[in-house]
Amino acid sequence: MNKRLPPLVLALLAAVPAISLVPGVNANYWLHNLILVVMWSVIGMSWNLLSGYCGQVSFGHAAFFGLGAYTAGLLYVKLGLSAWWGIAATVPVVGAAALVIGFVCLRLRGPFFALATIAVGVILRVVAENLTGFTGGDLGIMIRERTWVEKTWYYYIILAIAAGTFWFVERVVASRLGYYFVAIREDQDAAESLGINTTLYKTIALVLSAVIAGFAGAFYMNYMGYIDPKVVFALHDISIMAIMVVIVGGVATRWGPVVGAVIMILLAELIRTIPKIGAAHHTVFGVLLIVVIIFLPNGIVGDMAKLRRLLRIGRPS
Amino acid sequence: MTAAKIEVLLQTLISGLLLGGLYALIGLGMTIIMGVMKIINLAHGELMMVGMYVAYVLFSWAHIDPYLSILVAAPLLFVLGVGLQKYLINPVMKVDAILPENQVILTVGIGMVLANLATLIFKSDYRTTPVEYATKAWYLSDYWRGAPIELSLSFPWTVSFLFAVAITTGLWFFLSRTDTGKSIRATAQDKDAALLMGVNVERMRVVTFGLGSALVGAAGCLFLPIYYLYPDVGGQFTLTGFVITILGGLGSTFGAILGGLILGVFESLTATYVGMGWAPVGRFVIFVAVLVFVPGGVASLLKRRKLGK
Amino acid sequence: MKRTVAVVLAVLAFVVAAPLLAAAAEFKLVIPLPLTGKQAKFGEIMKKSYEMAAEEINAAGGIKGSTLALGFEDSTGKPEIARSIVEKLIESKQPVIVGEYTSACAKAVAAVAEERKTPYLVVASADDAITQQNYQYVFRQNPVNAHYADALVNFLVEVAKPKTMAILYESTAFGTSGADAMENDAKKNGIQVVLKEKYEAGAPDFKPILSKVKSLTPDVVYMVSYVMDASLLMKQIKELRLDAKLFAGGAAGFAIPEFTDNAKDAAEYVVSATLWTPQLKYKGSKEFAEKYKAKYQDYPSYHGASAYAALFVLKAAMTAAKDWTAEGIRDGFKGVSLETAFGPVKFENKEGYQNQNFVATLAIQVQKGEFETIWPKDLASKPYNFPVPAWRDRK
Repeated sequence: MNKRLPPLVLALLAAVPAISLVPGVNANYWLHNLILVVMWSVIGMSWNLLSGYCGQVSFGHAAFFGLGAYTAGLLYVKLGLSAWWGIAATVPVVGAAALVIGFVCLRLRGPFFALATIAVGVILRVVAENLTGFTGGDLGIMIRERTWVEKTWYYYIILAIAAGTFWFVERVVASRLGYYFVAIREDQDAAESLGINTTLYKTIALVLSAVIAGFAGAFYMNYMGYIDPKVVFALHDISIMAIMVVIVGGVATRWGPVVGAVIMILLAELIRTIPKIGAAHHTVFGVLLIVVIIFLPNGIVGDMAKLRRLLRIGRPS
Repeated sequence: MTAAKIEVLLQTLISGLLLGGLYALIGLGMTIIMGVMKIINLAHGELMMVGMYVAYVLFSWAHIDPYLSILVAAPLLFVLGVGLQKYLINPVMKVDAILPENQVILTVGIGMVLANLATLIFKSDYRTTPVEYATKAWYLSDYWRGAPIELSLSFPWTVSFLFAVAITTGLWFFLSRTDTGKSIRATAQDKDAALLMGVNVERMRVVTFGLGSALVGAAGCLFLPIYYLYPDVGGQFTLTGFVITILGGLGSTFGAILGGLILGVFESLTATYVGMGWAPVGRFVIFVAVLVFVPGGVASLLKRRKLGK
Repeated sequence: MKRTVAVVLAVLAFVVAAPLLAAAAEFKLVIPLPLTGKQAKFGEIMKKSYEMAAEEINAAGGIKGSTLALGFEDSTGKPEIARSIVEKLIESKQPVIVGEYTSACAKAVAAVAEERKTPYLVVASADDAITQQNYQYVFRQNPVNAHYADALVNFLVEVAKPKTMAILYESTAFGTSGADAMENDAKKNGIQVVLKEKYEAGAPDFKPILSKVKSLTPDVVYMVSYVMDASLLMKQIKELRLDAKLFAGGAAGFAIPEFTDNAKDAAEYVVSATLWTPQLKYKGSKEFAEKYKAKYQDYPSYHGASAYAALFVLKAAMTAAKDWTAEGIRDGFKGVSLETAFGPVKFENKEGYQNQNFVATLAIQVQKGEFETIWPKDLASKPYNFPVPAWRDRK
């Protein structure tokens, strides 16, 4: 069952655009939300790789997302290329940035690393805001004509990226690399003493994670058609959202980021549209986060057994 | 240097110091919490926001001066902090999870709830407490006729600064002279040894969080006359708090004070001489630099000198 | 016999009811705007104004007999959400979009509207770029940022005649484009810009940068801010005793009641660009302002006036349109030439902008805690106060 689940889910997701054939269903609206869900599962998987499996908790993933978005955007604005090339360009650009950031920050442990990543996110945002000649500053980057009006192709592209990421992360985790990552997470000093080059592997985790987040960012540029520093380098809307997605879904699990993305995005949209409660959606999220952390610290997928037990207790005998 | 240039420099320094004093108070609360509990409290700014709303409500309904509101806000925040620690944070610290940073994320959740509740109750409108002395200031030229430069010392800023100094001094006495204070410091230094010495570590944790919250709540009251209030005001102060805490050294009250002052002055100087748009970058570059090169912060530098290394 | 009577009555009833049922036809217009988040204040003002306009339109028979039914969706000031809302509306066959506030959201919505060939009426977003993209479906009622300060600049050139100017602006699209526009205007008129500096919105302490401004002794200090920075800036300018011949603001934060409420005496004599004031003599302007004040205890800002007028513009477009498809309404907009409470509205292709309305902007000054229109002279409600007294000499 476990082996066949991923292809099954993928097939199901691939068939989704067919709902546009059903009359009366606002296909574009749902596709838009699904695109966001899939995009966030990519970001979640990226965060999960670095923070869930390797234990380096990043509070600044917006930095990589934003860098990917700006790579795509700048290719369009400065070189006149299609912003889709940004996805390919993300690998060298965001990868290199991750190397530099890693060089500075990875020597820090636990909470200090987390704080440093917050700082990196803010620094990149302010730099993007101030380098007006290069990045357009606060005016952001706007793509005159998006490639397609219909959403279907965007959906398939992000789905492909997500499927690729899912498969890739699974391979990495199952390999020696994954083993080393977890060892570093559990006890870095013990790992080091066993001869594992922790710096090297932490860096690898960071670069891989960064590039994946960068893919999502480049996609975002193409899909939304407009970015500015406050949107793509946002602390709460991107970095903390990424953390929430994985924590709620389940850290260090295959499906955690996916489940988390579904819950967070769809829940957000659902709450936003209810007139009275709409404004309270952050409270709901905050409470959800608190509840999950206290009762299901390993997320829904991670603590599936516990969740089942809790729900069973609720049933009358 | 021309008179104008000197004036700019001095005025910048004065602003920096006054700002730094207030920053120090924010940092103090955070450093105590971080020192004792080793957790990062990302809801610190939101606690400050709660303090500010308390002061605002008292001002709007009963015309109580924000400075007097400290007497109400601080105890209220203390109780809130104690409650949060006892019922939310402590349980999480006991739970076995893959990621030790779960507590940090918990505080994120708490912060979100607090900020959103404030939005629901007070709406996103900006609120102020327009006291009559809001723009009053002392001018050098009033006292020294014919001075070559004009310097101004803002009344509310100065009062806030003095209050911050008073609170800090009070805290210092508390930590060094009272039993509870010493127990807190002991817990921060070495939790297990403190346990062995008969310190009720559990209770110290709770008291510390309450104390840290009360401090930042007081800081909020001091900020209100010179700034403004809205539900999301906390975020930037949480980040500022971190920079100060790291700059000063985790757990060191003296470090937090120094860190606050240094940051305040640095920011003002950057704003004047480099450009205000770049100020946040400067702040965080220092932050990362200190994290990497001097992880113990200013306090560790001082200790090194004292021990003659 | 009874049967026949019953049938006749039924037919009569149907004949009478049918037109009533037909008249109960309604046109549903859902408006995206920020109801929560930082821009909520402006969203609230616009919502109230839209509602007021809809009430009046419906009382006068609606649009070609159909009732205008308003709905609102909260974009929270985020471009992705605004876009998502608009796409949902277009999917549900709403043939026209009206609304939004921030330039970032308006840009996102304009892009979607153009893509999906649905006319979009921009009401309060200032960024020049929105109507410079050669869009065929985007119409803007409010003037562009480049023109916001026209009247103010005119006032400077004719009355204040400054030689030097310092510009402070906040780090947003609005602040940046406002500052750039003023810099251009200053250069064109021979005013030397001695300082143009961005500040981080929300900062508690502007005194360092203000000291720098003070040391350069500019004749005019021009600032572009949203709500609270404007008050803080003036308060701290007063604290520092930063004197200048004139303090000027680029609309937004300097033109709303919060400014005078919070800055109090520090706001006195400050001049600002604005797009509309309650004292204007446009058709329906005063009535709208007084009606709004009676209901909500405060005069509406220019955003409210624009929102109010927008629905009348929409009515004119839909009345002239040959049908209520997207194309029909778009053509309807193209032909609009209407006197509204916000001023005359006519969409032109001029100066590199497409479908842009060029309504005259104004300059206001805070006098005794109230906003008074001071320029252009023919629209002024009170004479201007210039030069402004030094801080030390004010009571």
